Amino acid sequence: MRNRLKVLRAERNWSQADLADKLDVSRQSVNAIETGKYDPSLPLAFKIAALFGLPIEHIFSAEDVAQAAE
Amino acid sequence: MSEQSSTQARAAKRYSRDMILASLLYTAVVFGGVLAIKQDLPHWAVIVIALLPILPALLMLRAYLVFLKGMDEFHRQVQGEAVAIAAGVTGFGSFTYGFLEEWAGFPHLPLIWVLPVLIFAWGVALCVVRLRYK
Repeated sequence: MRNRLKVLRAERNWSQADLADKLDVSRQSVNAIETGKYDPSLPLAFKIAALFGLPIEHIFSAEDVAQAAE
Repeated sequence: MSEQSSTQARAAKRYSRDMILASLLYTAVVFGGVLAIKQDLPHWAVIVIALLPILPALLMLRAYLVFLKGMDEFHRQVQGEAVAIAAGVTGFGSFTYGFLEEWAGFPHLPLIWVLPVLIFAWGVALCVVRLRYK
């Protein structure tokens, strides 16, 4: 799954550690999500969306899911 | 800035404390057991003594499970993958060696080695899985 986490974080001048603190997860978790190696659970995705004040689909996009729906 | 979340840091602290206590208890029970079985004891007492080291070992397992609950979801996934690999390696390894032992006359290995092998395999698997997510 692709996401805009790195861009959104950079816009706010937050480090990975800053974002990790705000989400109460480890820095490695933020890194794994940003690099697309780990997809967050729905509760964590909602937490991320609430933190940035954006709908989930503005942060995460699943192209393979979109293609499958066509 | 810490690499861990505050929840995880607290869980790690508790894990260290519980693990040290369980290890000390395990060491005491094993040393006591070694001395005790040298005495002239009834068979039932020897069986009880032989089962005693399992209790602190179970405390170690409990400490790990509590630690697991304190991890964030990504680290729980990493741990889960490592445990699955370790279980597979240990299970199939002992199964394979069992056939070699039974059919090919390989030397008998005591069952007591299964858990240490599982723990060692889990440690190695954890390093491999962590590297994959780097």
